[in-house]
Amino acid sequence: MRRMLRLFLPLSIVAASLVTAMIAAPQPKNPLDMPFSLEHAASMMQQSAVTVSLIAVWLLAAVGLTLMSGREVRSSSIELRNSALHCFTLGLVAVTSFVLTAIVFSYLIPFMVGVPLLFMLAVFAVITKIYGLVAVFHALGALTGGARTRDQLASRSWLRGDLALSVLGLVILGALRLIPVVGPLIWAGASVFGVGSALATKFGRREPWFLAVRAMSS
Amino acid sequence: MKSQSCERYLEDPEANAGHLAECAECSALFGESAVPTKPLRFDALPLAPWEGAKHRAWPLVAIVAIVLIVASVVLCKIAGLSAAQIADYVIGSMQARRAAVLGWAESMPQGVIVAAFAVVNVVLIALLRRAPRGIDA
Repeated sequence: MRRMLRLFLPLSIVAASLVTAMIAAPQPKNPLDMPFSLEHAASMMQQSAVTVSLIAVWLLAAVGLTLMSGREVRSSSIELRNSALHCFTLGLVAVTSFVLTAIVFSYLIPFMVGVPLLFMLAVFAVITKIYGLVAVFHALGALTGGARTRDQLASRSWLRGDLALSVLGLVILGALRLIPVVGPLIWAGASVFGVGSALATKFGRREPWFLAVRAMSS
Repeated sequence: MKSQSCERYLEDPEANAGHLAECAECSALFGESAVPTKPLRFDALPLAPWEGAKHRAWPLVAIVAIVLIVASVVLCKIAGLSAAQIADYVIGSMQARRAAVLGWAESMPQGVIVAAFAVVNVVLIALLRRAPRGIDA
């Protein structure tokens, strides 16, 4: 229970803040009319500045989450490497489900219950995305720089342990994110994998989502 | 275990190794089996994912953090962006995505959306029922 709280309390606070900021921020009539408009964003330098700043924030999330619950992140990362296709399928279905559920909840806004439901769904989606992407960082780090033998592991002073693998994965995915056009697609694909691995392992806890009901034999 | 000799063997097998030749029962339990066994070499076993996992590579984290922060500050200075503008951009892009989804939803009949919602969630539940493979794979 304490491990669960340690993982979900900070994540929930971050996710709730993000969702609140998104809801509370003034809605632009047209996103292109914002102070930071398309004509500014068209500049490669500005895009790169935004991307690098976001990667720095992701580093904070990756380090914090790996330190708080390294075992869970490792478990999701192993699942991602062992059944990548299942994670991708689950991620795609989950993202579609988030979108459709949000639309259906928006129909309930006139009945008052819609707003809290939407808020909870958004917080859950943000938590899943953050946790899942950190698991993807770990998986990518383990695939590219993970030790294969004990001798290799013993000879390394820096590139060993969950923290190093998460950071290595972040650096690789962050570098790919900087490629124009393709980068955001790669990042979005990684997010789908991440959401899938987070849900497949129930956030690394490897518990079933639903209790199996079995008929009692007499 | 019948005799005191058996008990003595159990207490100190090395000193009473000759007991195995005298007692068939102990020989069957503790003697060399007919099945040849290979000595276990720990180094030959595959590396488990948790081995060395607790190691914290702070120098690597510090270097990456410094490089990212410096790159971010320099790029923001060159591009003339402040942290508030970056936050504006991120929130604005999320709102734009939300507006696009809601716009798409308004163009679709409600029945289609509700049916798709039901189908997708049934598929999601079916996929979530699969046990994770993880370390057993």
